[in-house]
Amino acid sequence: MLNFVFLFIISLSTALGQGPMNFCTHELDTFPVLSGGREKPLYVLASETIRFMTGKEKIGDLSATEAFCKLSLKAFGMPLELPVQIKVDHVEVRKFLGLNENDSFIPVNDLIQKGEELSTEINKIKENNSYKKELNKVKSRLSTYETITSARGWTIPVKEGQKILFLPLSEFLSEKRVESAQGQGSNPVSFLFDKAKEEYLSVKGEHYLLELKYYKWNLFVWALILSLVSIILFVTLKNKIPGAVLTGLSITLQLVAITIRVLISGRAPITNMYETVMFSGLGALLIGLGIFLFRKELLFILAGLGCNVLSLMMMKFANGMLDEGISPLVPVLRDNFWLSTHVTTVILSYAALALSWILSNSLLIQAKFKSISSSEYRYKVDLIYTSIKCGVVLLSAGVILGGVWADYSWGRFWGWDPKETWSLIVLLVYMAILHGRYTSWISPQRFVPLVAGAFMSVMMAWFGVNYILASGLHSYGFSEGGALFLGSFFLIQIGILILSMRKSIVVG
Amino acid sequence: MNQSNQTLFETFKYYYKQTELFFGSLKFAVVIILIFALSLGVGTFMESYHGTDYANRLIYKSLWFMGIQFGMFLSILFATLLRLPPKKHLYGFYVIHAGLIILFLGSYITYQSGVDGTITLAPNLAAREIQVNEDELKIQFPSKGKEVSVSLPYTALKKNLNYEYEGIKLKTFLPFAENKEDWVPVKIEDPNQSSTKYHLFNDNFGEYLTLSLHPQSDFNNTQKLGPLNVHYMPSSLISCFSQNTTEGLIVWNGENTTCVAPKENELKKKKNINGQDLVEVNFDGQLLRFLPGMSPLPLNEAQELNEASPFRIFSKKLFEKSPHLFLFGKSVAFFNKDTQKWESHGAPVNQDVPLPWMGFRVKTLEHRSDAYPTMIPHYIKPIQDNGQVITGNMKAVEVEVNGQIFWVTSNSPVAFNQSSERVTFDLSKKNLLLPYELVLDQFKMDTDPGTNNPASYESFVTLFKGNEGSTKHHVYMNHPLKHQNFTFYQASYYQTQEGPYGSVFSVNFDPGRFWKYLGSLLLVLGSIWHFVLRKKIVLKPGEVRA
Repeated sequence: MLNFVFLFIISLSTALGQGPMNFCTHELDTFPVLSGGREKPLYVLASETIRFMTGKEKIGDLSATEAFCKLSLKAFGMPLELPVQIKVDHVEVRKFLGLNENDSFIPVNDLIQKGEELSTEINKIKENNSYKKELNKVKSRLSTYETITSARGWTIPVKEGQKILFLPLSEFLSEKRVESAQGQGSNPVSFLFDKAKEEYLSVKGEHYLLELKYYKWNLFVWALILSLVSIILFVTLKNKIPGAVLTGLSITLQLVAITIRVLISGRAPITNMYETVMFSGLGALLIGLGIFLFRKELLFILAGLGCNVLSLMMMKFANGMLDEGISPLVPVLRDNFWLSTHVTTVILSYAALALSWILSNSLLIQAKFKSISSSEYRYKVDLIYTSIKCGVVLLSAGVILGGVWADYSWGRFWGWDPKETWSLIVLLVYMAILHGRYTSWISPQRFVPLVAGAFMSVMMAWFGVNYILASGLHSYGFSEGGALFLGSFFLIQIGILILSMRKSIVVG
Repeated sequence: MNQSNQTLFETFKYYYKQTELFFGSLKFAVVIILIFALSLGVGTFMESYHGTDYANRLIYKSLWFMGIQFGMFLSILFATLLRLPPKKHLYGFYVIHAGLIILFLGSYITYQSGVDGTITLAPNLAAREIQVNEDELKIQFPSKGKEVSVSLPYTALKKNLNYEYEGIKLKTFLPFAENKEDWVPVKIEDPNQSSTKYHLFNDNFGEYLTLSLHPQSDFNNTQKLGPLNVHYMPSSLISCFSQNTTEGLIVWNGENTTCVAPKENELKKKKNINGQDLVEVNFDGQLLRFLPGMSPLPLNEAQELNEASPFRIFSKKLFEKSPHLFLFGKSVAFFNKDTQKWESHGAPVNQDVPLPWMGFRVKTLEHRSDAYPTMIPHYIKPIQDNGQVITGNMKAVEVEVNGQIFWVTSNSPVAFNQSSERVTFDLSKKNLLLPYELVLDQFKMDTDPGTNNPASYESFVTLFKGNEGSTKHHVYMNHPLKHQNFTFYQASYYQTQEGPYGSVFSVNFDPGRFWKYLGSLLLVLGSIWHFVLRKKIVLKPGEVRA
């Protein structure tokens, strides 16, 4: 049936002297589609899908949209072969698929041949370990490919009364519909697509195009560059104005980007890992700025910029761990004022604690390489103390707001859920340090490495609960994206602590 | 006040002061905070590996963890008392610590008298039972109309119970159990009640089979594996299966498990008066007559089916069309389609026999008639995978009645005859009864457009309040139903066999709520007061305070 329709289209197109493949152009970037429960431009869907399958932005010379379109047309008997390379991360899975240990891609046709073997292997393994997870992932990459090439991955808006329905491409290009479009416009398929888009725009307007701009403008990348340059300017120039201006610009860009994201998703920008990293980066910079206004100490801005740069880099480069996509919320998180305030407060507290982490680590490293006078050391310890105070107040408020949220949503204030328990552990760890500061146990020399190390509890609460605890007993920890990141973080932090231990600082 | 009272008071004051100094000290605070944090950390890993219930029983709701929390409470309380009478620079400190004390007290009230349970609403049925997370064993005596409920301990580990009621002894409680195969010795050995374990496998697939002829075993003598039917039979029958006769008939005596496979010249084929095929067989000198097309039972003198007879007839031809594997302890028989012949093979322990289907082989692992295999609950640490507890979901109680021991599990109730009286045992969660009824009129689930992901769960319920009439309510995420101090939250749903959805609410009564909110508020305000408003800044070297 599908083949028949396409033979018909081909004959029609050739008759018009226009190759059908010209249909797949950049103009389709703005085409509205429904995917994952949300309406978005085809560009976004195509980029997400191609990235999921191949780990890359393009296939050969073709942009994601062009490739997605051409793969979809394959369902209609289009004789074409795109060099689609499916991503394979796990070394053992590579071996299983007959790849070299260092080959991270398998040609899709080879993978199709191994489809059945893949399913057998998945069924054979009882434990849900990282090997099985990756096998499942490869399988779902393959089935994504199959969904696209059977024209079911692309949905087309169709107007029915005053409502817009979405049909899979395979249903949309029915014989009847193509026939009825015959003779209208130069190419009946292009005509149908133009009409579909027009109808969509007439009912829903251009709101969905905001997402295209959001992705194309890459505001966070520009902000990353600005924040990096401002650090350099602050450190190298005596005149602090250029750094301040660029910092201001960076903050503005991030605020604009976050606002656009809120407009697209229609909710607070703090509902997945990507968004918490995004929010904390800006939060740290703003808190740093806030404390600077109060204490007149440039180090706070520098520490804020440092956190900002780190989180923007994670957003840009840690794609395996942080998913940039905007997806609908699970029911319990919807329309929830308490959730928004709770997460915002906790993330801001983590941002403030991140300031103390950067300050204490830089003090450790500084003290290792040059001598610091005892008064300067005490002064810097006090700066660290200030950011901890900020973090602890925010965190206790955040933990309690979490209780309020749980009470409001589930009827219990506290349920020993791992996320809430870990946020309490973080609070307790910093509390122990703050109380210990008044005993003989924690001198200023011990305070600094303890604060630097205490941030590991924040990382555990923030990432570890999701990437280590949530995966359960059978994933054998640190072999996947998030856990790997966290493991490296712990190793580096412990490394810094050990190295800085060897030289003690003389404090009067 | 006389002298001795004076000294007593002084001594008391001295020890009180010592206690105050110990528990109120900063060092004790640091130690107890760290112990608390460490236990929590361990708890989250336990939760992740073994599930919420296990972590709650082992840690969060255990006595020793209560002790640690009490230690925290003492530390906070005495630290505050030590710093009285009030000093101005400590106002923030007092508010924080008062908030914490109130928070602890509020939590204690909730722990003591709060209710946290679930209510399951089947469509259009009145419900008033709240299920709480405590286990109990209900022992019912239907003839006496009596019921006893025994509360089972809230423990993570195996626990001995010392409970006895009218000759019924409860011996052990397993909060997390899994049925495991176990061999139970038999009193009188009977080779016709043997049991065998096999491994059936090919290159891609393998399955362990336990088959038993013992009447008390939980295992059957037949099993279906995809298209393959497995039959387990007394070993003496192998001789009849190995013979290839034209008719393929086998006659066997169920009483002593002997059989014959009569050859053509050993049986007489006739027609009876109704024109049906009649077969006459000589079995150890006894003449038996059968209507093989009609029934496996032999005919008596009056030409009627004799149901009391131990003899049976059947035709092997029935098992030639589809794959059937006959296992006889240490030998096997099957019909080979390629040769069109019945084959039998010896299958000694640990030797495998090739089968004529898809490269399958069968291996005898263990063959016994001195004991039979059955499923017995064993304690197991539950295992959680992908947010679901996959093993150890069962609870079990070991019961002894009249010297006989058996297990009651949470999977299904057990009935037992105690000196001709029927007693039933039911291991389940404790229920509370509401003084009103809820009826689910409709459950509605919306999905995100174009996907199967749920976007909302909604229940429409009617609340029947006896004489006060009824009211309609719409319960959905973040919009609970509140009635008489109880709050009902949309928690979950399920699909009934008939099709419509049922709904599950979590039900909550929290008398400590007010105190927890008050404590929290004080804690946050106190922290701000203490940390932010209290300016004590170390100056930069060389800087002068303005």
